[in-house]
Amino acid sequence: MRPLSPVLASLANVFRIPITRAPVRPTLTNEILSSTSTPTSPRSFSTTSALSKRKESGYRGDRRILLIRYFLHHPLTPRPLRFSRTRFLRHWTIHRAWNLYQANQRRAHELELQRQWQSMQAACEELRTGAGDGGKLFRKSMIKTGVFRDLVPIEYARLQTEGPAREGWNFEWKRD
Amino acid sequence: MAASEPSRYLARSLPRALVPSSRHQAFCWRRNVSDQASSRAPSAALSDLESTSLSTSLPDDVVKTFKPLERARARKTQLPRSRYQFRSPKYDRGPLHPHRPPPPSDPSSRVFVPGPFSLPRVEQTWQSTVASDILTLLYVHNPPGFKPPPKAPRLRTWDESSPYHKNRPLRGPRGGDVLRLLRKPITFNNIPKIERITLHSYVKKAATENSSWLHVAGMALQAISNVKVETFKSKTSVAQWHIAPGRDTVAVKAELRGENMQHFFGKLVDLVMPKLKDWQGVKGSSGDSSGNITFGLEPEEMALFPEIEVNYDMYPPKMIPGCHITIHTSAATDKDARLLLSAMGVPFYGKMVN
Repeated sequence: MRPLSPVLASLANVFRIPITRAPVRPTLTNEILSSTSTPTSPRSFSTTSALSKRKESGYRGDRRILLIRYFLHHPLTPRPLRFSRTRFLRHWTIHRAWNLYQANQRRAHELELQRQWQSMQAACEELRTGAGDGGKLFRKSMIKTGVFRDLVPIEYARLQTEGPAREGWNFEWKRD
Repeated sequence: MAASEPSRYLARSLPRALVPSSRHQAFCWRRNVSDQASSRAPSAALSDLESTSLSTSLPDDVVKTFKPLERARARKTQLPRSRYQFRSPKYDRGPLHPHRPPPPSDPSSRVFVPGPFSLPRVEQTWQSTVASDILTLLYVHNPPGFKPPPKAPRLRTWDESSPYHKNRPLRGPRGGDVLRLLRKPITFNNIPKIERITLHSYVKKAATENSSWLHVAGMALQAISNVKVETFKSKTSVAQWHIAPGRDTVAVKAELRGENMQHFFGKLVDLVMPKLKDWQGVKGSSGDSSGNITFGLEPEEMALFPEIEVNYDMYPPKMIPGCHITIHTSAATDKDARLLLSAMGVPFYGKMVN
């Protein structure tokens, strides 16, 4: 094997490319070289790169910060969607249909709330005029002080989840 | 090896039908529309399984009138190319420019964001429970035909006691110069709702030491919010920290809307708040009296967010920032906003100040 040129050897050392010098049979020069000089990869047990091991190298910071800076400034903006005519029409159709579906759902929700409000109004009007107690119950029901003072009890203020189940434990379950 | 192969000359001399083809005919079950459905059909059992869309015969008039070439020639204006790629212009140069970017809802826009593709549980809870609960709790009944008495104008006129009062702008409201938001009665069309959430973190060490504090803070906020952060320079001068206005970049902010906001709020309420130690809740006096509630998280509480918790080694521990969380609601007053947030699972303590 031809020995590397000094430039290539130093580059290989910098980039930590292992150069296996495996001659077929040990020659005299190799014996002398291995006995006198250091082995070819002296830093094989060190994780510090050669550049940062030098005293005068500039950056001696935290590697985590280096990585954070790299990913923080990494441009991740995707290019705009570019489609041919047919695919764009397909995409646009699905987009419009999805928007229409969402608008319908919103509309249905608003109508449901309006229905609830109107039935509340009818019930309160009935309570005010037709309950036969001179509207006392109605006046009691319109007092709002506790609403803003006590707020909603924390037990009821719970985001809805699919689980745990209402029973909490399935007692019928048996290992097969 | 050469002997086993049929000779090229032999293959050329033989008629084409006799040449052994590489694909065996019996296993070629691909059919075309042009050939008869029954001639190539592999078996009755397989043809039952297959859909018969290929073998359906079109009516004759459709076949007769299908002339794509003539149709294309008869077209007055040319269709866009098949490889037509619309590139929206990068900058909006105003209404007088001939070439303007499409609206953001258009899929070809550069800022188009598809979705939302999920129904976050915050949204689901609000729609199914919280909205009608708040509607019921805040219902105020007015008899039919009731008209509220007219109120005095909020901006008062000057009494004309002095000639200098002429042409002056109107006086501000009583008790201060701030014109508060008007609270309309809550009905079915203005139920309070979370509109956006702002995360803000002021990093003092970014000015006194180096920028890595700011970068780590920005990365932490991005991780928990899924939104690119903005940085801000200091507006005020703090002499002890050597912060000068307009010179030092000291703050990062992330503004969450839509799906990001819902998911963040869900994580905050479900995962982070139950784990806070010795935390009574959000102070009842918090808020800007127009329906926006702010509270803060300490650095060690920020580390409870699952995105930071699972990857805690990524951040230098002392550099994880605290942050202010402002929840902007569509309510006009703080008490409505507090009622909304308490129905969504945020506890409040102390005296409720509007």
